[in-house]
Amino acid sequence: MAREKIHVGLEIGTTKVCAVVAECNRDGEMRILGVGESPSRGVRKGEIVDFKNATQCVHDALADAEDRSDYEIKGVWLAISGSHIKSFNNRSAVTLPEESTITAKEIESVEFKAKEAGIPKEDVIIHSVIQRYYVDGQEGVIDPHGMMGTKLEADFHIIHGVTNRIQNAIRCVREFDIDVEDIVVNSVASAQVVLDEQQKQAGAVLIDIGGGVTDYIVYKEGAVCHSGVIAIGGDHITNDLCIGLRIPIARAEKLKIEEGSAITENISASEKITLKNDTGFSGRDIDRLMLNMIIQARLEELFGILRKRIQEVVPEHLLGAGILLTGGCSLLRGIREAAESVFPGTPVYLAHAQAVSGPMSAFENPQLSTCIGAAKYAQAVHAEMPYESLLNRLKGFFSGRM
Amino acid sequence: MITYPRWLDRGTHKEPVLRLLSIGNAGVNIADRIAVRASLPLETVALNSDQQSLNASVASRKIALGPMTTHGLGAGGDPEMGLEAARESMSELRQSVEGADVIFLCAGLGGGTGSAVTPQVAELARANGSLVIAVVTMPFQFEGRRRSQQAQEAMQGISRHADAIVHFENDRMAEITAPRTEAEETFAACDNILFQSVASLTRLISCPGPMAVAVPDLLGILRSGGGGFLFGSGEADGGNRAHEALEQALRSPLLDRGRLLHEASKVLVHLSGPRSLTFAEVGAIMQEISKNTSHTSLLHLGVSVARDESAPLIVTLIGHCGAAARIEPTASALKIEPVRATPPALFPEETIQSTPNPPAPAEPKTTPPKVKQEDLPLEPIARGRFEKVEPTIVEGEDLDVPTFLRRKLKK
Repeated sequence: MAREKIHVGLEIGTTKVCAVVAECNRDGEMRILGVGESPSRGVRKGEIVDFKNATQCVHDALADAEDRSDYEIKGVWLAISGSHIKSFNNRSAVTLPEESTITAKEIESVEFKAKEAGIPKEDVIIHSVIQRYYVDGQEGVIDPHGMMGTKLEADFHIIHGVTNRIQNAIRCVREFDIDVEDIVVNSVASAQVVLDEQQKQAGAVLIDIGGGVTDYIVYKEGAVCHSGVIAIGGDHITNDLCIGLRIPIARAEKLKIEEGSAITENISASEKITLKNDTGFSGRDIDRLMLNMIIQARLEELFGILRKRIQEVVPEHLLGAGILLTGGCSLLRGIREAAESVFPGTPVYLAHAQAVSGPMSAFENPQLSTCIGAAKYAQAVHAEMPYESLLNRLKGFFSGRM
Repeated sequence: MITYPRWLDRGTHKEPVLRLLSIGNAGVNIADRIAVRASLPLETVALNSDQQSLNASVASRKIALGPMTTHGLGAGGDPEMGLEAARESMSELRQSVEGADVIFLCAGLGGGTGSAVTPQVAELARANGSLVIAVVTMPFQFEGRRRSQQAQEAMQGISRHADAIVHFENDRMAEITAPRTEAEETFAACDNILFQSVASLTRLISCPGPMAVAVPDLLGILRSGGGGFLFGSGEADGGNRAHEALEQALRSPLLDRGRLLHEASKVLVHLSGPRSLTFAEVGAIMQEISKNTSHTSLLHLGVSVARDESAPLIVTLIGHCGAAARIEPTASALKIEPVRATPPALFPEETIQSTPNPPAPAEPKTTPPKVKQEDLPLEPIARGRFEKVEPTIVEGEDLDVPTFLRRKLKK
C-alpha cells in the first residue's frame, strides 16, 4: 500500500470556501496539487445561514480545485466550525479480570465509556482525542496495549457539536454527489499542519482567527487539553470599523486590509488616511489613530477572553512553544504585538502550514491552514486505517468461518 | 354556552373539597412546593414515617406514620416496614381521607413508605367515596432492580383502588435538564414537573369556566392506557401569550418537544386565563395543537376563566400515548361503578359566581441562565451587520457590539 493517496480538504469559511487537493505518501509527506477558492456567501460566523448560496460557493470552490489540480474530486474531508462546537475532558475507567493483559478490546471499551459522558441531546461527538492512559494508577502511559493491569483509565478530550448544524454543512457538499468522508473540527485540522510534535510536547496554543470565528486548541505535554470556538473574527473588526468610522462595509473591509493595524503607538493624532470618492460614497479623511484603536480594542478583547480560557487549563509557563496565530485575520498588521501585550512573557508567532510541499503561495498562506490541515488529518487517519481494517477484516473472516 | 355539570350535587351547597395526601419523602417534597408556591384550593396533608422530614415540612397537616414501628426514623426503603407503620397508624390514615371529595395521592414509588402506604390510603379513600387520583414517580433505573420491582408492586396495588394514575418515570424527567447541570437542579426540575401536574389537575377540576372539563373526560384520558403519560404545561401573558404558553407546554420533555403528541389517541387541552382571553386565542391554540396531533386523535377542550384580570394564560396538555395494556384494567373498571352512584360534589352553582381562587400560576419553566439579545440594552445600530445572526455572548457581554463602544473608548 505504498501508493500515494489523494485527499481533499474543504472548508466552508465565513469569508471564503476553499478546497485543497493534496497528494499524500504513506510516510506522511504531503504535496499540494491544487487549491480552489470561492468567495463565500450565505455563511455567518462559520455556520451556514443561506443554504442555496453556500451550496453554490461550495460548488465553485470544488470546480476551481478540480481545474487546478486536474483531479476529479469524489470525496472530501470537511472542516467544521461554529460557536456550537464545545469540548470537555472526561476520564473513564474499565476494570479487568485478574492477571490479564490489556487488549484492543479494553482500549476500545474505555473510549466508548468516555463517550458516554453527557452531552446535550441534540449534540453529537465529533472527536474523542486520547490524552493519556493510566494503568493501575500509573500515570503517563502512552500505549497500554499488551500491558498487565487490573484497571485501565483514560483521559479523553471530547469535542461535540449540534448535529443539525453539522448536517447542514455536510448536505451542502452532498448536493453534488460528492461524498463527505469525515468531518474534522477546524482547530484540530489546523493543528495537524501548523504544529509539529515538538511544539505539542512543549505546550502550545494555536489560535486560528478566521473571518467569522476564532478556533483555538491548546496542547500540553503532547496532548490536546482544551479546544473551542469563539464566534468572533475578522468580520467583527470590519463591522466595528463600519460603525465606528461610519463608512460602508465594503470600504471598511478594504480599509482594514490596506491600512489597518493593531498598533496605536507612534501615531500622531493628526495623521489622516484619505478615502477616495466612490459611487455611493463621498471621499473622507479618516484618523489613523481612531482606525487602529478600534482594531486594537477588538483584538485585545479577543485575546483577553482566550487568555482567561487558556489559563483555566494550563498555566502560561507551561506553554513552551508559545502561541501560534494563523487564519486569515493573522495577516493583519500588529496582531502579534496585540497578542503579546495580552500574553506577556509568552512568545507569539505567526504561523502557517509546515512540512508540506507544493506551490509556496498555497502553504505559506495562513488562510489555508485549516483546509490543508483537513487533508493532512485525512492522511493521518488513513495511515492508521489500512492496517486496522485489514486486521478487522481478517477477524471477521475467521469468526465467520467458525 | 351551556355547561352540563355532570357531577353537580345540587343538594349540598358547598365547595368541593380537594385534598392532597403526600406520602413519603418524595411526596412531602411536592407538598412543600405546593404549599409555598401556589394558592390552590387544595388542602395538603403530609404523611411520612420520617419525623425529620415532617418537621421540616410546611404542610398544613402532618401525620407521623408508625411512630412505634419506625421510631420516626423512616422505613428505610423497606415496604414491609412501611406496611407495619401503616397498620399502626390506620386510624390516622382513615381520618386523613375523611370529608374529601377528590383526593390526590402524591408519592415517589420504590422506597419504603411511599410504596407501602399509598395503596393503603388509596383503598381507604376509595371506601370513603372520594375520587382518587394518584400522581406517582417511578424510580431511576440506576437505583437498582429491587426498587423498581417494589415500585411495580406498589403500582399494581394503587391501580386496584385509584380512579386514575398519573405516573412519571424519573429517568425521563431527568432529561429535562442538560446533562451537565447540577444534580440538585435536576432533582428540583423533576419535583417541579410533579408539582405542575398536581397544580394543573387541581385547576382542571376546581376552576369554573365557560367550558369546564367533565371529570369523566379527564378520567377517561388518564385511564386510557398503560403507555407513557404525556404532560405539558406552559404559562405566559402579554400580547403573544397564546403562542408563548403553548410553545412552553409543547417544550415539555414529557412530550418530547411535541413529537409524542402525534402518538396520543386522546389529548385533553385545558386553557385557563383571565377574562380577556379571546375566542380567537382559543382557536389559534387549538389549531396549533391539532397540527401537532394525529388527525385521528380525540381532542377534549376545557376553558376556565379567572376573575383576576392579571392572571396569566395557562395551557395544559394531558394525554396518553402507546396502547400497552394497563396493569389491572378489569379490577379498577369493576370497582368504579358502585362509587359513581354517590358522586362527589363538584362545581356547585353558587361557587361559580364567587370563586375566590384564581388559577394559581404554574411554576415558570426553568430556562438556562443565558443572556438573550433582548436582555441587553442595545442601540439598534450597534450590532451592524450582525443584526440578524445569533449573538456571540461571552460572560454576559454581547461581543457583536464593537469593543470600542462597550469600553467607551474615545479619542
